[in-house]
Amino acid sequence: MATHAETLDHEHYHPPGLQHQFEDMKQQEESVSIGMWLFLAQEIMFFGGLFTVYLVFRSRFPMAFAAGSNHLDAFWGGLNTLVLIVSSLTMALTVYYAQKGNRNMQVILIVLTMFFGAVFLGVKAIEYTDKYNSGLVPVTGLNKRAVGGEAHASTNFVLPFETRASATAAEGGHGDAPYVNPKGDFVWTDTSLISNALKEQAADPEGSYLTTAERYGYFSNGNIDANKFRDKVRIFFWIYFVMTGLHALHMVVGLGLMAWLGWKAWLGTYGPDYYMPVEMSGLYWHFVDIVWIFLFPLLYLLGRHFIHA
Amino acid sequence: MFPDQASTFAWHVDALYFYLILVSVVFSIPIVAAIVFFGLRYREKEKYATPEEMHGSIMLETTWSIIPFIVSMTIFLGGAIVYYNQFRMPDDGMDVYVVGKQWMWKIQHATGQREINELHVPVGRRVKLTMTTEDVLHDFFVPAFRTKMDVVPGRYTYLWFEATKPGKYHLFCAEYCGLNHSGMGGYIYVMEQRDFDNWLSGNVSGQTPVEQGKDLFENKLGCASCHAGGPQQRGAKLEGIYGHEVKLVGGQTVLADDAYIRESILNPSAQIVEGFQPIMPTFKGQVTEEQLVSLVAYIKSLSGITATTTGGGTGSTAANSAASGNTIDSANTMAPRKAERGRTGQEGSNPNTPGTGTEPTNSNR
Amino acid sequence: MQNVDALDAAYNDRPTKNYLNNGYTLKSWLLTKDHKRIAIMYLVSVSVFFLMGGLYAATIRLELLTPASDLLESGTYNKVFTQHGILMIFFFLIPSIPAVLGNFLLPIMIGAKDLALPRINLLSLYLYWVGGALTLWALTQGGVDTGWTFYTPYSTSFSNTFVMAVGLGIFINGFSSILTGLNFIVTVHTMRAPGMTWFRLPLFVWAQYATSLIMVLGTPVVAITILLVAIERVARVGIFDPSIGGDPILFQHLFWFYSHPAVYIMVLPGMGVVSELISNFSRKKIFGYEFIAFSSIAIAVFGFLVWGHHMFVSGQSIYAGLVFSFLTMVVAIPSAIKMFNWSATLYKGSISFDTPMLYGLGFMGLFLIGGLTGLFLGSMGLVVHLTDTYFVVAHFHYVMVGGQVIAYLGGIHYWWPKITGKMYSEFWGKVSAMLIFVGFNLTFFPQFILGYLGMPRRYASYPAEMQVLNIFSTAGASVLGIGLLMPVIYLAHSLFYGKNAGPNPWMLPGLEWRTASPPPTENFETTPVVTWEAYEFGEESGLDLEGARRRESVTTV
Repeated sequence: MATHAETLDHEHYHPPGLQHQFEDMKQQEESVSIGMWLFLAQEIMFFGGLFTVYLVFRSRFPMAFAAGSNHLDAFWGGLNTLVLIVSSLTMALTVYYAQKGNRNMQVILIVLTMFFGAVFLGVKAIEYTDKYNSGLVPVTGLNKRAVGGEAHASTNFVLPFETRASATAAEGGHGDAPYVNPKGDFVWTDTSLISNALKEQAADPEGSYLTTAERYGYFSNGNIDANKFRDKVRIFFWIYFVMTGLHALHMVVGLGLMAWLGWKAWLGTYGPDYYMPVEMSGLYWHFVDIVWIFLFPLLYLLGRHFIHA
Repeated sequence: MFPDQASTFAWHVDALYFYLILVSVVFSIPIVAAIVFFGLRYREKEKYATPEEMHGSIMLETTWSIIPFIVSMTIFLGGAIVYYNQFRMPDDGMDVYVVGKQWMWKIQHATGQREINELHVPVGRRVKLTMTTEDVLHDFFVPAFRTKMDVVPGRYTYLWFEATKPGKYHLFCAEYCGLNHSGMGGYIYVMEQRDFDNWLSGNVSGQTPVEQGKDLFENKLGCASCHAGGPQQRGAKLEGIYGHEVKLVGGQTVLADDAYIRESILNPSAQIVEGFQPIMPTFKGQVTEEQLVSLVAYIKSLSGITATTTGGGTGSTAANSAASGNTIDSANTMAPRKAERGRTGQEGSNPNTPGTGTEPTNSNR
Repeated sequence: MQNVDALDAAYNDRPTKNYLNNGYTLKSWLLTKDHKRIAIMYLVSVSVFFLMGGLYAATIRLELLTPASDLLESGTYNKVFTQHGILMIFFFLIPSIPAVLGNFLLPIMIGAKDLALPRINLLSLYLYWVGGALTLWALTQGGVDTGWTFYTPYSTSFSNTFVMAVGLGIFINGFSSILTGLNFIVTVHTMRAPGMTWFRLPLFVWAQYATSLIMVLGTPVVAITILLVAIERVARVGIFDPSIGGDPILFQHLFWFYSHPAVYIMVLPGMGVVSELISNFSRKKIFGYEFIAFSSIAIAVFGFLVWGHHMFVSGQSIYAGLVFSFLTMVVAIPSAIKMFNWSATLYKGSISFDTPMLYGLGFMGLFLIGGLTGLFLGSMGLVVHLTDTYFVVAHFHYVMVGGQVIAYLGGIHYWWPKITGKMYSEFWGKVSAMLIFVGFNLTFFPQFILGYLGMPRRYASYPAEMQVLNIFSTAGASVLGIGLLMPVIYLAHSLFYGKNAGPNPWMLPGLEWRTASPPPTENFETTPVVTWEAYEFGEESGLDLEGARRRESVTTV
């Protein structure tokens, strides 16, 4: 609660950055802080809708989710997690140096933070391209078209090292069929997870290896229907793209924010008297980081638990 | 002010309604009284007067929190009991299957009898509806029974009732479903058991073919929703077309004769009238040959031709009647008709070769 | 003595410098940071949307004069009711009191110079305009026919209308709403004048605070839901499509999770206004201040728990339905508490029946009916019959129009002198208030009966036996329409020919009445220091009642 007993006195010292509607810096700082926390709260509700969707479909079709998750490369996901955590460190240090008034360190750390942010986005680009090349983008027409049985590995964008998807493709994990995709559809042919579950179910009639939704969701006339299974895996990838895409969009906004912040820091705007914009940008950056911390295990680590249990 | 009470739980729902009206009146009285009496008694006598201060009263606040809470709990409980009874499905219901689709209700009895936009049920029997939809959400609503339930694509929903009074009751679609949502309705016919058995076995009242056709056109098959909707209707105009040339999309013209009408019902997308969209669904499998005859007769009557053409010939549909409880006992023939132009090899249709006067075959059900 | 006379004569003079004449350029308005100017721009904008939504409503009532669908084609009628709903809900009702009255009054009522984040406030306005413009553009291109509720799979896979464009318009508008709410919460926390403790705040501020909580936490959920629908339409793949395993009911859960709390956004601010009206025009401290304040918060919190009561017949489980029905009963109690407290405030007051008070009392009567019929719809046994019929239509119009719109009009009339510095014609004010009350009841009460009879909603044609009640309803609508148009005329007239209002035309204790009418840009000449309780009409208020009586006697001579 703020109590500001002075009357308006236009003569007294105005700290830099104090806006006209506030009596003093303390009121301004309190206001922007509450404002930013409220903004983050509504961002949580925004992503919360997507997490709810994830929850609903994962509990209905766990096997399809596991299968899809297994095709995400946990190496890249893990790297991204590390990158973001380090970027949060550099961001926190930026705030520290802003409070200290150390202009050079601020700018260096902001640049570092942006660098890590860019690395994150670069890795996402690699991952998305990989999906494009493997026919895992859930929208028809947005996958690499390949007539007549090319190998999985793309000829357009060759990675200097193997990713999990291309590795499993090489070892025939993504079905033994070569990559044929004349219309750029979403392709998925591997129903081995279901066959395994059925075998386990047969061996253990008491146990429950398929959910109710899966019992009719993957089958037609009592047989495994590869197209229906593909549709459920497609839902996983749709959620993957929407969630990570929205997150990446927030990341891009974050980079823009950092660019502006870096420019202002270079001008020497921030110091012990006035550093709230740095702290508030830090809050935003940490939030984007935390969303990823939740996304990573839910999307990337699902498969390994399920399959290797 | 009230719809008929025609089901076993209609009066439960009405009783709950009256209870709620009573509660509303009882709670409104003190408030309205306060507004009126206090407003009059304490109207300002002196400008800018300052009345005596009054502090709040915890006792009053508690009272008028607890009492409404208790009353609302009684409303909740009453509602819960009525609802629970209404939606716990009985084991011994007479099964009826309902499929909603834009913009009609397709209903099938367990005995195979099919209906469109109508449901005949016997009085005093529990009827359980298993429902779904082919496309978007709809809702099966019968005000006289005080019940409704949405139909959802991809799953089944259920509804049951026991009708108590013979009569004809409205059926409405109560979940917005697009263009013809308002027209997607019909009637529930509750009949005495004997009448219901008669109906099931196909003995309908003696109507002339034109009357029967009119009934099918306006009520049972839903034709009127697109073909009698006024100047901007979605279906081609049928009045006065019989015996005249009709212009089709693509420039051809065709004579609107019996065969044309029959084809348009069974295979509507083959010949689209110019200026209209190819949106008419096929009724193949839903109309019997006898019904086709009545429809043709009715449509002819819209052009002022009242003589119907019936003739001898055996009903070739006898074989099909085994699949449903409906028997076709009268003959069905078509008057000899001219060759249809430009159409050959239509599946399931009746390709005419001039002069053969072949019997139409109704190979679908 | 002479000095006093001179002062008295000049008492009502319009202040030479106020927020309206502080800059006349377009730029000074479009780039303003002044919450009062932003409020005026919102006032004009929401009025335009209200007019358009009203025209759609008139079209609906005209069509429903006859049982057949003869005025409009079904397809057009579907667009008309959809667009009526969208414009009224998203572009009129949700912004109305918060963005117009809240923006103008909140800072003044707490003794602040402006909102905490004025540039965010301006951004809110811009987002509202962009969202509104996009939606209006889509309407000119052919509109949308999904119903304002956008149920899937119709909206994702079947409708051939501009779902995506309108959806994006609503999405953008949602952020306007979120930022306004965010701004209000921050302002109430940090910008209160010295001595303005939480429990001295006017109840209008408490109501805005509770509303803002809902705006900030609920709106993002509908934003993501609409985004998912738009993506599903464009990408032809999604999560609501049952043919690939998706779930149309999931949409309903996500949609109503926001849209139920949204209806509290569409009534809590109105209740805040009514608390002001009842108390001030009885010249008596509101009865049960803390109870009314906390009931607003309780409604906001419990409002997030009852969304399933829109889905009783959707195929949801019986047990979920029972839980939602129970909680719906619980959420009704705080509203009942308010009604009783307002009634008790009238007891032993000194009640004047100025136009704003007429609206306040009208709200009480109409919200009474609206709220009670909500209980009908919360009771499971009854709602099965009543849901998706005209009973629901009548219920929500009673609470939204009979509630919020009446309160909005009451607030506009109450604070008009403060906002514009002018008084309107009290005679025409009373006449239109009564016309609105009568017209409204005649329009919507028959719809309760129609609903019980079984007339479903969103129907262009209906069985012939329901025509008489529909004719009553349309007749009422014409009276209501006239009643609603009249304020536009006499309020506009007052801007040019109205009497100067002076700082405190009714001699009321609120902080907003302690500054000039219209207020200066900085709101107060000096920061107020609050030493009196809320709704303090006695000596502690520091009001110069003697002076007021003296001026009255002079003018009546």
